[in-house]
Amino acid sequence: MSFAHTTHENSASARAQKKADRRRERSENDLPRSMKPRPVTKTITIIILVFALIYFLFPIYWAIIASTKTPAQLTSSNGLWFAVPFNKLGDAIAANYSVLLGWTRGNFWRWVGNSFLYSTVSAVIGTIVSVMAGYATAKFRFRGKGITIGIIMGAMLMPAALLTIPQYAIFNALHLDNSMLAVIIPCCVSPFGFFLGRVYAQSSVPNELLEAARIDGASESRIFFTIVLRLLAPAMVTIFLFMFVATWNNFLLPLMMLSSENLYPVTLGLYGMVSLAVFNDRGALMMGALLGVLPVIILFLTLQRFWRAGLAAGSVKG
Amino acid sequence: MKWNKGCMTAIAAVGAMCMALAGCGATSGSSSSSSSSSSGGKVELTYIHRLPDKAGMTTVEETVARWNKDHPNIQVKAIHFNGNASDLIKKLETDVKAGNAPDLAQAGYAELPEMFTKGIVEDVTAEASQYKKDFAAGTFDLMSIGGKTYGLPQDTGPLVYFYNKAEFDKLGIEVPKTQSELIDSAKKAAAKGKYIMSFQADEAGNMLTGLAGASGPWYQVENDAWKVDTDTKGSKAVADVYQQLLDSKAATTYPRWDPSFDSALQKGELIGTIGAAWEAPLLMDSMADKGKGDWRVAQVGDWFDNGEKTGPDGGSGVVALKGCEHKAEAMQFLDWFNTQIEDLTSQGLVVAATTGQAKTPSSWSEFYGGQDVMKEFATANSNLGDFSYIPGFSAVAAAMQNKAADVASGKAKASSIFEEAQTTSVNTLKDYGLSVAQ
Amino acid sequence: MSTITSTKPKSAGAGASRKAARAVKGANSADGKDGMSVKQNKTKQKMSAAAKREERTGWMFMLPFVLLFLLVFIFPIFYAIYSSFFQQVATGGGAYGGGELVNKFVGFENFKYVITSHDFWAGMGRVMLYTVIQVPLMIISALVLAMLLDSFIVKHVSGFRLGYFLPYAIPGVIAAIIWVYLYNGQISPIVKGLAAIGINVDFFASNMVLASMINITTWTFTGYNMLIFLSALQAIPHELYEAARIDGANGWQIATKIKLPNVRGAALLAMLLSIVGTIQLFNEPQVMQTADPGISRSYTPMMMAFNTSRGFLTPKGDGPSNAIAIVMAIIAGLLAMIYAFVERKVNEQ
Repeated sequence: MSFAHTTHENSASARAQKKADRRRERSENDLPRSMKPRPVTKTITIIILVFALIYFLFPIYWAIIASTKTPAQLTSSNGLWFAVPFNKLGDAIAANYSVLLGWTRGNFWRWVGNSFLYSTVSAVIGTIVSVMAGYATAKFRFRGKGITIGIIMGAMLMPAALLTIPQYAIFNALHLDNSMLAVIIPCCVSPFGFFLGRVYAQSSVPNELLEAARIDGASESRIFFTIVLRLLAPAMVTIFLFMFVATWNNFLLPLMMLSSENLYPVTLGLYGMVSLAVFNDRGALMMGALLGVLPVIILFLTLQRFWRAGLAAGSVKG
Repeated sequence: MKWNKGCMTAIAAVGAMCMALAGCGATSGSSSSSSSSSSGGKVELTYIHRLPDKAGMTTVEETVARWNKDHPNIQVKAIHFNGNASDLIKKLETDVKAGNAPDLAQAGYAELPEMFTKGIVEDVTAEASQYKKDFAAGTFDLMSIGGKTYGLPQDTGPLVYFYNKAEFDKLGIEVPKTQSELIDSAKKAAAKGKYIMSFQADEAGNMLTGLAGASGPWYQVENDAWKVDTDTKGSKAVADVYQQLLDSKAATTYPRWDPSFDSALQKGELIGTIGAAWEAPLLMDSMADKGKGDWRVAQVGDWFDNGEKTGPDGGSGVVALKGCEHKAEAMQFLDWFNTQIEDLTSQGLVVAATTGQAKTPSSWSEFYGGQDVMKEFATANSNLGDFSYIPGFSAVAAAMQNKAADVASGKAKASSIFEEAQTTSVNTLKDYGLSVAQ
Repeated sequence: MSTITSTKPKSAGAGASRKAARAVKGANSADGKDGMSVKQNKTKQKMSAAAKREERTGWMFMLPFVLLFLLVFIFPIFYAIYSSFFQQVATGGGAYGGGELVNKFVGFENFKYVITSHDFWAGMGRVMLYTVIQVPLMIISALVLAMLLDSFIVKHVSGFRLGYFLPYAIPGVIAAIIWVYLYNGQISPIVKGLAAIGINVDFFASNMVLASMINITTWTFTGYNMLIFLSALQAIPHELYEAARIDGANGWQIATKIKLPNVRGAALLAMLLSIVGTIQLFNEPQVMQTADPGISRSYTPMMMAFNTSRGFLTPKGDGPSNAIAIVMAIIAGLLAMIYAFVERKVNEQ
């Protein structure tokens, strides 16, 4: 495998992918007769794809419907449709919303905010340190490099949840448990982020450019912050997204670390409701679940291009 | 070396960010559970609880606000904990170690021994003894371990029998008085597709223990060693009755907190069930206004070799936590709070206080056909048998629940639940390094 | 799985997982060709000033990551090992102890408990079964969907792609909550619908519950893997298809001869990471446990570790809990090594 690639690899691959999409959508008509799928193949393919789409979207659709229902309506009404006519839907939503805020004692948006804070901060720190380390191992020779890479890559295969219990003990000893740092620090470190940072640095930072900058008398840190980071910007978005989602989705870590309600991320807050035996406002909970994932979905939609380009780079190049 | 300031600045910035967050985390972490402090004769206390605080109830904060208004020198801050009992204990354990625990915390009677063993409660024998007269004798003792008191009782959870009188009348049955009557009536009702008993796997750990405990204790201390016997005559009777009911399909097996249980109530399929007193408003919730006015509360009959007695299921007090500096003030507040009968009743509690008569809330008496439910509960309260728990009972309850699920699906016999309780109880005590008499 | 391994491995794509596999063995994977060092420092005998500078700079860039890595990965591992030799016991005698817990050195007692624990191995067995079914199911579904989307048959690929991917945006624990409700006979339109046409399923029945969890994980992660494969497929140069077309290849031949070999690497890596992920199965059973008392507190080893630390199982506390984690980590490491070994053997053939 060659790592000699053009400098703007990632944005280029993102563009190429867009082009490929367009071509794909057009290409059906261009295909020669021999390659045109037979109608039966085509029908089966479309049936499978649509069936899969229903499978993936149905629970979300159901959650939306359920979020408008009272506990009694959940069990008695048609599960596939709203229990009240459209003109009363607003009231039903408002009622469940206030039930949600009641159960969470007004903490709901605070939890969403906490999730956002934990995810953003740990992803920002995590991306920078991953890229720095990836760049170091890709472009510098130093003693202990091999073993360090080996250990970090080995950690990638370590079931991370197993570390949560001793992490809790250590943070407890440092009196850092039940604090924001208890969630943020462990989430800052991602061997997979390091792996991606290294792959990207290998492929998208040309040695010639570094040499030229050094000859011009630029310092190493200047080279990194002005040249390398710019070259790696698309890669950093990918790592950022990856770590953001990983932190947002993390459940065991906050479950172990946090005991103050005002520090909960939204996953833990909603789980806290479910874990109470007497809890039965499941419709309101569904509303919380939907509102709680909205920020991630928006992030996906707006940054989809980078996300996909990054996945491609990470999977193909290795 | 071309490593210059820029890079250092960046690292420093990341470091500073961490520090800032640490500060931020620390403040928001401790603000919720700041320790007691006094400034200029003013005492500040924090009290963490798990009471429902739902709409229509007098919330703890409202009650506390009244206290604060009248007691400018003893200011109390109430914190609600969102989670189950074991999560709260874990939190308190952490807080006590970190030295920032609240002063007062809700503690179930079943949990106090464990909290004591873990060293997170404070001895308040001297400060609490003067308030003994305000509470039912048995409940006050439940807040004590080895002759020392750690807090004051708040509510009790005697097991009672909830039933739909209209449906009973239709079937021509009454609340059974004896074991054989119970089984006969259950079979008679089941033949018509109605059920007057429920086997609830998810509540087995507490409810079956309570029912078995009505006739005698499981755990006794002799010469500083535990004598564990979960195979008492009460346990045998409970296992036997439920086994017969399950074998003849005369009891439902829906878990208590599953929607299927609610649905069975709403459809009028389940028309009678044993439950703790605190379930009265929850059952109203479950039924969503169906059967309103038809339901009644009765004492558990002599179904499990228990005679007149009944057993505990839940109920809790409030303990002082280790590090509480103002024990006298804390107990003074606590005695006041735990005797605010009207407020606590609105939370659905059957109070342990005996300073006044608890009035049945109007929504309850509407649902329970005008019955004075609170009076019925008070009777049940006075019928509570002696039953105390061991440190680590949560592990016993968890194991029993798991076994009960097998019993519900017919994979195990009801008696195996109590066998499981015996093994787990002994193991729990031994693992704690406590001595167990053979 | 068979569709992947039966194709001739002529592609370079398998490198990713091989590289990860190599790392497991701790082999030095610092390839000399990736840096200026080759040019600068051919003679290794003596460290030149330039090499020293390079070394310093390299470590400076490594430092922040390494420090965090030490705090988050390395210290906890050592702490876990240390703590696994202790148990918390009550002091001071008496039936309730003296009101304090102390750490008591118990030697290998905790490990003896884990290794002889029926519950632990039962949980391990469940997780293994889960992995053996869930991982191939998910990878193959993802592969099939990616290939179908890439087959020039459908327009509007982006709509499907987004729809499949959307569940990944939902945190595992929330996905589990939604599905728990969708498994509930009183609430779920699925259960009710199936019952209406005469199929009565109980998703919580003890022989179904593992399948119910498999479904949750598959629902969440298939789209993510599909996207990885689709990206790999779309990176295949269009000229390859043109050439194949000229040679008169049909759609099926293109799929098996060109496409599959090109996503092989991505698939094998995804497989490895998924195996690591499923070993620590926790969210789904933990959430389902709140709805089903039949799921024990030790349903999976990770749940057992958590509930041991929470005191729902006995012996309890950090010591036994860490012992469980360590035994699990050893087993996971062995499995990853076996996987790497098998993969290499297959590649050599």
